[in-house]
Amino acid sequence: MSDLSWEDWIRQEDDPRGAFGKPEALDDLLVVDVSRESVAGLVCTAFLAELGAEVLKIEPPGGDPARAWGPPDFTHKGEGLAYLAEGRNKYYITLSLETSEGREIFRHLARRADVVIEAYSPGQMDAWGIGYRQLSVENPGLIYVAISAHGHFGPGAAEEMPEHDLTSQAASGLAFITGEPDTDDAGPAAVPTKAGPWLAGYAGGAWAAFGLLGALHYRHETGRGQMVDVTPAEGLMRYLEYTLLWYHVDGRVRERIGYYDYAVFPYTFIRVKDGWAFIAAYTDPNFHALCRIMERPDLAQDPRFSTVWARVQRENEQALRDEIEAWSLQRTSEEILEKVMADPGPGVVVFGRVESPTEVLSRENWWERGCFHKFSDPVYGDLTLQMPVWRMTATPPRVRWACRPAGYHNGYVYQKYVGLGPRRLAELKDQGVL
Amino acid sequence: MSSESYFDWTARLFDRARIFQKPEALRGIRVLDMSLIIFGPATADYLGELGAEVIRVEMPRTGDVMRIVAPEGFYWKNVSPAFFAQNHSKYHVAIDVHRPEGQELIKQLAAKSDVLVENFRAGTLERKWGIGYRQLREINPRLIYVANTGFGQWGPFIKRASYDALAQAVSGFTAVSGFPGRPPLKMGIYIGDYFGACLSALGVLAALHYRDRTGKGQFLEVGQCEALLRAMDWTWVYAGLTGKNRPQVGNRDPSACPSGIYACKDGYVAVVAGRDEAFRGLCRTMGREDLLADPRFASPADRARESHAGTLDRFIGAWVQGMTRAEVEAAARQHGFTAAAVATAKDQYDDAHLRARGSVWEMEDPVYGTMVEHGPAPKLSETPARYKWAAKPVGFHNEYVLGRLLGLRPEQLKELETKGVIGKWTDRRGSKPPDDWDGEGIVT
Repeated sequence: MSDLSWEDWIRQEDDPRGAFGKPEALDDLLVVDVSRESVAGLVCTAFLAELGAEVLKIEPPGGDPARAWGPPDFTHKGEGLAYLAEGRNKYYITLSLETSEGREIFRHLARRADVVIEAYSPGQMDAWGIGYRQLSVENPGLIYVAISAHGHFGPGAAEEMPEHDLTSQAASGLAFITGEPDTDDAGPAAVPTKAGPWLAGYAGGAWAAFGLLGALHYRHETGRGQMVDVTPAEGLMRYLEYTLLWYHVDGRVRERIGYYDYAVFPYTFIRVKDGWAFIAAYTDPNFHALCRIMERPDLAQDPRFSTVWARVQRENEQALRDEIEAWSLQRTSEEILEKVMADPGPGVVVFGRVESPTEVLSRENWWERGCFHKFSDPVYGDLTLQMPVWRMTATPPRVRWACRPAGYHNGYVYQKYVGLGPRRLAELKDQGVL
Repeated sequence: MSSESYFDWTARLFDRARIFQKPEALRGIRVLDMSLIIFGPATADYLGELGAEVIRVEMPRTGDVMRIVAPEGFYWKNVSPAFFAQNHSKYHVAIDVHRPEGQELIKQLAAKSDVLVENFRAGTLERKWGIGYRQLREINPRLIYVANTGFGQWGPFIKRASYDALAQAVSGFTAVSGFPGRPPLKMGIYIGDYFGACLSALGVLAALHYRDRTGKGQFLEVGQCEALLRAMDWTWVYAGLTGKNRPQVGNRDPSACPSGIYACKDGYVAVVAGRDEAFRGLCRTMGREDLLADPRFASPADRARESHAGTLDRFIGAWVQGMTRAEVEAAARQHGFTAAAVATAKDQYDDAHLRARGSVWEMEDPVYGTMVEHGPAPKLSETPARYKWAAKPVGFHNEYVLGRLLGLRPEQLKELETKGVIGKWTDRRGSKPPDDWDGEGIVT
């Protein structure tokens, strides 16, 4: 074994800066992504493309309407920012599935593909003759991923509506249990509240990729493909911990409780001199560490706070949070973090400031870890992107390019996979197929 | 082509009643789950729902702390209901990894495993117990070892401890969620854990594909702060190009205005009508065709301006006030915009569609009886994901795992137990079976 410490050794092995010299986990995969207006589709194939898959992103002539998504007051070189953020490493082609020639070309690509991803209304692809039912006849190893609002089966499947992140967050059950309760001064903020980012889309995209990779292992063992049905709402639902079980066994319907917590305390946001911070110390040893750091050993003896059970009674949560704030408001987040890090234990207090995006971008840690990268993209210029989440020793993910305009790779892809040369492509373009 | 209707065909293809007649995608893959609380156990759980055999290692007697992390201190059958969500179909063994004999058992289990999941602080397994990746890959070069943390295995912040909501805070996720001028929005679930775990499991499957091709294992790491930061869509591109923070906009999606969550007669409903056709449909059904001629609402960008969006919010809020959630959904379906009831636990529990899809999953466990939880998310037609049984008391499967996998004889197990290297539940909440348990479910 090497003499290096674990941290030094593992950094040497999995620092993303070394990624380009290494193989890729999914570089034998051909993925045809015909999803449109779908955050989950966009994210799913961004993950796959980071891990090495060759992703052909099919857009209708004129481009995916999602290209307009992002902040309403700001676009960059004609693109909405969402596509720039999740367009990485994909090959961009256009194709009209509304035309029979377009569908024929799609069928051709699907015959070659390992994975097809779509986000049309359930039954639409099938009605076009290019759904899983038809494609699997010619390509039995195909893994066909369908993303929709309510799914492709079940009594409500035919009552499809366009999928949207906000409605998926609502249907998931997460929105109902997130936000400020009615009982305080919250005013219009006292409503079920969504996560700011497109969290249902990210959950749906992650589950779609997870499901298809599971199917891929099965195909490796058996040669058989299958269909994978994913809804972003159910993707978030799977993260809802004990919400249904509590209702089942005790009739309890979880509700909004703001910055309090049903199951652990302290585990909350508190005010500090320089804004807001999160603090947690809910097991006994950890709570004792907090009392030590606050120089309030009396709190650990107080019957309202002396057991895990007592600390999660709501009125005790309120009282304890007040005690913590009386202390934290006198200190900056840096001062508190210093005390937390200097405490010798036993027990651990978890503490961190609530930071804005620009503050996050000013912290060296994230850059050193390779979480962000500034690209000088030949098409889109300078862009700051969030980088792949996985550090891997053998097959590290990577980002080659940020995004490309719709149809940018038509020439390359159609030549390579369909044998169509420039003249034929020009004809198809004139006919509105590409 | 078959003349069967599409939905009849999908109903057959995904029939919930046939799940247990079908094979499992990850059959034959063994996961050694050396983890704590949620972030690690959920990673293993997701692999387990696709058919991996998960061996969950806990400390003898006490077991995992989630066994006692109980909502409002509510215990069900001697254990917190919060323990079950990330521990399905696992084999529970209790081994004290602080003891050399315990470390030896872990090495033997790792030699026979495909995946190892842990979420201790960076380097703990190597430094404290000699069972880190560098040791285990010597024994098993095919091992895929996934380490979950807050901030990763190296870098300036690795000494800092993390939980889900810390990840929300330090990643910027909190700052771009919720309403402006209000206290930070704490997500109602431990999203940093569950979403991070989902990405971890995804990474494991990618590594498994590479191993299927090459025979090579590897080490991978996921930090939960980094996972949330990855999930913030255009936040970073925007900050990079403008130097500005993405504003908090409550329940509005700035890419699709009008949009929001509104109180109606029987709860709350989410409405989105961003595209022009959708907005026209919404105005029609509200009886407000006059808005279509109003220049403030002419284009999606016009509708997204703060004051214009606020005005539309008030119109929609007033319109849905007298309606039920179902009426709003029906109007959306008819007029081409999107709406969804803000679902409660009860709504989902009673939802026939979610039950038919297995997204509301009911099963009978031999120890705990009938249970209802959220089911696996992706629906696989050939190899459907499934839960087989619920989490079990501490050390419940000691004999089965250590006897069957490692070939330990009963007297050897007895000796290890006497020494405290392995163990079972004790008479404390979280650790022990239900009081009325009749011995059902033991595997011998």
